[in-house]
Amino acid sequence: MTVSTAPVPVAANASGTTQTTTRRNRLWALVIYILTALYFLLPLAATFYWSLRAERGTLGFEAYRRLFEDANFLPSFSQSIVNAIIAIVISLVIIVPTAYWVTLRLPKLRPVVEFITLLPFVIPAVVLSLALIILYSRPPLLLTRTYESSRVLLVCVYAALSFPYMFRAVDNGLRAMDVRALTEAAQSLGAGWPTILFRVIFPNLRVALISGALLTFAIVIGELTIALFMAQRTLGPYMANLTRSKVYEPSAMAIVAFAITWAAMGIIQLIGRGQQGSIGGGH
Amino acid sequence: MAYLTLTNVSKQFGETYAVQDFNLDVEKGEFVSFLGPSGCGKTTTLRMVAGFETPTNGMITLDGSDITHKSPNQRNMGMIFQSYALFPNMTVAQNIGFGLRVRKMSKAAISERVQEMVSLVNLENHVGKYPYQLSGGQQQRVSLARALAIRPNVLLLDEPLSALDAKIRVSLRAQIREIQKKLGITAIFVTHDQEEALSISDRIVVMYEGNVEQVGTPFEIYNFPNTQFVANFVGSLNTAVAEVIDRENGLLSVDGVQFASAAKMDGYARGDRVRIAIRPERFSFASEVKKANVVDCQIENITFLGSVVRVHILIGNSKFTMDTFNYPSLALPKIGAADQVTCSREAVLILGHANGSAN
Repeated sequence: MTVSTAPVPVAANASGTTQTTTRRNRLWALVIYILTALYFLLPLAATFYWSLRAERGTLGFEAYRRLFEDANFLPSFSQSIVNAIIAIVISLVIIVPTAYWVTLRLPKLRPVVEFITLLPFVIPAVVLSLALIILYSRPPLLLTRTYESSRVLLVCVYAALSFPYMFRAVDNGLRAMDVRALTEAAQSLGAGWPTILFRVIFPNLRVALISGALLTFAIVIGELTIALFMAQRTLGPYMANLTRSKVYEPSAMAIVAFAITWAAMGIIQLIGRGQQGSIGGGH
Repeated sequence: MAYLTLTNVSKQFGETYAVQDFNLDVEKGEFVSFLGPSGCGKTTTLRMVAGFETPTNGMITLDGSDITHKSPNQRNMGMIFQSYALFPNMTVAQNIGFGLRVRKMSKAAISERVQEMVSLVNLENHVGKYPYQLSGGQQQRVSLARALAIRPNVLLLDEPLSALDAKIRVSLRAQIREIQKKLGITAIFVTHDQEEALSISDRIVVMYEGNVEQVGTPFEIYNFPNTQFVANFVGSLNTAVAEVIDRENGLLSVDGVQFASAAKMDGYARGDRVRIAIRPERFSFASEVKKANVVDCQIENITFLGSVVRVHILIGNSKFTMDTFNYPSLALPKIGAADQVTCSREAVLILGHANGSAN
């Protein structure tokens, strides 16, 4: 009889120890979660609070009103948005077919392409700007003479800056599906390359393309160094100027920028939710 | 002239030949399987028929037309992949209708064909679902319907059952065969599973290291293997080295134990060492019935396999296995006991000259 009852307290004890450990782990997780949240949210809350204090003695949106009424804000903001959109289109047109072809036919070239797309990370923005100005301020490609031609150059540079993000996003998307099997299945059903790209590959890269595009958008929208060197009136130089001359508006501007970024992330989440399950055939 | 012809087709990757001098005629409505181990060139050959690989040498013709250099999207061949390769962004109906949309068929015609296909593969209740909402077997049936919807010249199946569990594999292969017969479609099926190939095919092409070892009906491949590779790869097989004693009467000796064979021995002389093969199920205990060969043996081990009992026996110094049906009333011999087994003359195959010792 004693033998049969012996394991019971041991099992109960083991179960108790596991429960205590789990509770302790949860507590630690909660503490880390709160600390992390404070680390990110406190500066944001302080900035928001500061942006509301434009009127003496009361909290309000005066700084935001002044910001949106500033004659320079909307033109620079809209110019940055247009620049970002064009840069995204150029980047997509270059990166998607390249990444697709490398995955499908030239997998050995992947490290080379990866290295090339990483170059904008390696070269400092100041060096890149000066090099571009020197290169394109003389024939045959004289692009720094007028404001508009400099803008063309700036957009091309932004497209190049987006390569590391866009390539990685697209490459991850392509790796998540059986590109070869999907391509061959479409081919065997009679599809040509445009049909394969637009009806099979692009729709299945939706999340990756949007991620890459939004990352590009986030980089371009507030970019300062290259825009300054090229004397462009975009949001980056506008924000820098604002910080030098105003007190509350920069904080309002920071909050607006945060809101735009968060909205962009929300869009990724929303679109990503629609794409579930395995790609290319799970079992 | 055959419907699909492969003439001296070779494929070289660098210095290595994946397929060498492959010749095959496939008749219209025939179901041909390419069977062989990994790396034998069966998938490469299928991919050359599909147009995904271009032969280094040779010619492929379909219904008399040379298609060797035609692009895959101009061949009208339905392909089924091991990984299903369903388009994840499309529903079952959209997947099945994809090839028809590419052909710019009218919406009504597409809808009608899709309905026809979903009923053919019994997926009427799943047309609006996405691939991730289906089981593996259902996904492969969608893939089958999608390939058949375009009314392909040839249906190509690249190990379509390998990713499925055993029961679904058996039922789906029966369904594939039934549909193929019903539609009278020409099909090429790639597999490394001999049971699959034997059960589904009109003819089997056994391949090894890029070469065709044997082409024949499942019956011929199993019962009359031409080469040692075919004999070993298809089904279980006992092989042993024997010495030719009497060429005219087909007498051979395995470690001093005499066997009579019905195989032709024109190319051999008395004293030649040859490799013989006997299927395990061709042996039976001599106490049940006596055939041409009755030999003494020793029971080494017994393995219970459910419907079959595998008895490991020693004849002379050579080890053999014998498969016998599992009758509950059957009294199994004791391990270590001496017994007698029997087999017919036809059961003793000769695979060629032996260049090694008995196994």
